[in-house]
Amino acid sequence: MQNRVISRQDLAGFVDDLIKTKSAGDVIGIKAQGNKFNFGPLKSATELRLDYDISLLPPKKYFFPQQETVLKYEVEPAFKVEPVVEERMLCIIGVHPFDIRALQLFDAVYGGNNPDPNYFLKRNNATIIGVDCLNPIPKSFAASMGTNTVEEGFDLMLTDLGGDWFVTVGSNRGDSMMKKYGKGREATNVDLEKRNKVRRDAAKKYKTSLKMKPDEIPALLDANWESPVFKERSATCFSCGSCVMVCPTCVCFDVQDDPALNLKGGERYRRWDACMLPGFAAVASGENFREHKEQRFRHRMYRKGKYLLERYKYLGCVGCGRCGTSCLADIALPADTYNLLKEGK
Amino acid sequence: MKPRVAFFDFTGCEGCQLETLNFNLEVVDLINAVDIVEFREISSDHSDNYDIAFIEGSITTDRDIARLQDIRNKAKVLVALGACACTGGVNSLKNFYSMEENLKVVYGESAKYYKTIPTRPAHAVVPVEFFLHGCPPNRNEIIRLIKCVVAGKKFEQCQNPVCVECKLAENVCAFERGEFCLGPVTRGGCNAVCITAGRKCWGCRSLVDEPNINSQKDLLAKYGLTVNDVLKQFRLFNGTLEVAKQ
Ligand code: SF4
Ligand code: SF4
Repeated sequence: MQNRVISRQDLAGFVDDLIKTKSAGDVIGIKAQGNKFNFGPLKSATELRLDYDISLLPPKKYFFPQQETVLKYEVEPAFKVEPVVEERMLCIIGVHPFDIRALQLFDAVYGGNNPDPNYFLKRNNATIIGVDCLNPIPKSFAASMGTNTVEEGFDLMLTDLGGDWFVTVGSNRGDSMMKKYGKGREATNVDLEKRNKVRRDAAKKYKTSLKMKPDEIPALLDANWESPVFKERSATCFSCGSCVMVCPTCVCFDVQDDPALNLKGGERYRRWDACMLPGFAAVASGENFREHKEQRFRHRMYRKGKYLLERYKYLGCVGCGRCGTSCLADIALPADTYNLLKEGK
Repeated sequence: MKPRVAFFDFTGCEGCQLETLNFNLEVVDLINAVDIVEFREISSDHSDNYDIAFIEGSITTDRDIARLQDIRNKAKVLVALGACACTGGVNSLKNFYSMEENLKVVYGESAKYYKTIPTRPAHAVVPVEFFLHGCPPNRNEIIRLIKCVVAGKKFEQCQNPVCVECKLAENVCAFERGEFCLGPVTRGGCNAVCITAGRKCWGCRSLVDEPNINSQKDLLAKYGLTVNDVLKQFRLFNGTLEVAKQ
C-alpha cells in the first residue's frame, strides 16, 4: 500500500468518478446544512465540505439508522415471520478520525458471537474515506483522548496540506481505488512529514481537554460512585436525550411492534433509545431502575468511561464534543465531569 | 364486533377532526376496523350508542359540562383529542382576563346575551382514559391509539421531550438559530414537525411527565427573555397548567 499526494482538482475528479460510476456504491459526503454540517447523499464533489468542524449526526446512521424495520409478521391466515434486512453498498467521504474510532466500537458491540445482520450487511460493504479534522469544535477533546488521528479503520484518509491532499491508504480496497484512478503521485517522506506537522498543529487547536490519561477514567469512576458531582451537575438536566441522540458511540435501541389496522399482521422496528431518557430503564412491572436524573447522569458517565471499555476494549467516548455542544444545560460533556472528579470537587 | 366510535366537538377549530380524516389510504382500513357512528365532519348520522368517544375542543360553557357528562356516561373509553381537550389549548388565554372583559371584546354590544366560564380541559370535568396531545394531534398517534384499543393493547404516550425526535430528524437546534424553543420540556410524538419546518416548538403537546421547568426558565432567560416573556411562551398552549401561572 502506497500513500499518495493528489491535487485538489484530482481529488474532485476522483469523487465525481465515484459518484458517476457508483463503483463503491452510493456516495455519501459531508455537506453544509444551514450554518452546520451533516452527512448526506452527494451529487457532486463541489458539495463536499472537507473543512467542516463536526456533523450534526455521526455517520453511524448509515449502518444503524434512526429507525429500521427488522421483521414483518402475519398472524392471519397463518402465523409467519420474515426478517427484514436491508443491504446497501456505500462510500462515505469525510469521516473524522474520532468518528472512525466510534465505528470500531460499534463493530465490537454489534459483532462478537452474535453479529447483527442489519448492521453488518451495510457496514461490511462500506468504503470509508476519512479526513483529518483541522477545525475542531470548542467542546471537542479528541486530542486528549488520542482519537484526533487514527491508524486504521478507513480505506483512505485525507489530510489537507494546504495546496494538495495527502492520501493515507489504509486498506487494499483503498489502495486499488487510488491505483485505478491513477492521478497524483507517490508520497515521499517529505510529504509524510508535512502531513504529520498538519496533524500536530491541528492537535493544538483543541480548546477542551481531559486532564488525565483516558485509561485513568475507570479507576477514577470506581473511587467516585458516591460523589456529589453527579447530583450537582445533573440538577439542570432536562432529560431531553440530546446528548445521547447525537453521540457516535451510543449503541442502544428500543424495539416496538406496529400492528396493521386490520390486526392480521404488522412489523417490528427498532429505534434509537438511550439511557438519559426517563423511560429507558423502566420495565413492565412498573419499576424504573434509574428513576432519577442523577442516576441516569451517573450511569452515562460510567457507561462511557468504564463499562464499555471493560466489555469491548474501547472507551465509550471518543471526545467528539457533540453532546456538550447540543446540551442546552451545558452539563453533558464527559470530560467536564471526569475533570471535576479528578479535581476532587 | 367492531368498536363503535364517535367524535364530538366542543370549543375548538375542528382541525383535530380534519387531521383525523387526513389519513389518506389508511382511512379505508380505519373504516374497516371500527364503526364510526357519529362524526359531524363527514356525516349527519347521530348515535347514542358508542364505545369510544373522542372529545375535541375545550369546555367553556355550562352547557358543555352537561353535554360532556352525558357523553362520559355513554362511552366506555373517553379520549381527549388535541390540545384544547387535553390542556384547554389556545382557548385558555382567556383565563388570564375577566370573563366580562372577554365577552365584551368578543361580542361587544351583544355580550349580555352570552355566558362563558373559564376554559377547562376535558379531564377537569370528567375522567379521561387517553390523551392525544397536539395542535393538531399527530395522525400516526391517533392511528396507534385506535390500534391499541382495537387490539386490547396498552396505549403509551410518548414520554420523551421533543428534542429526541428533533435530533433524529437531524435538525439544527432552534436555539442555535436564535429562537426560543419549548422542545426540552414538551412531550414529543410529533416528530418535531415545527422545528423541522424551520420554526420552533410552542409546547402544543403539553409538558413531559417530569419537566425541568426551572432549567427551562433559566435557559429562556439566558437567551434574553424576561419572566413575563417566559410565561407568555407557556401560556399559548398550556394556560391551565401551573407553569403558566405566576
Ligand atoms: S459522549 Fe459526547 S464527546 Fe463522547 S463520543 Fe458521545 S457525543 Fe462525543
Ligand atoms: S445532559 Fe444535557 S443533553 Fe443530556 S439529557 Fe441532560 S439536558 Fe439533555
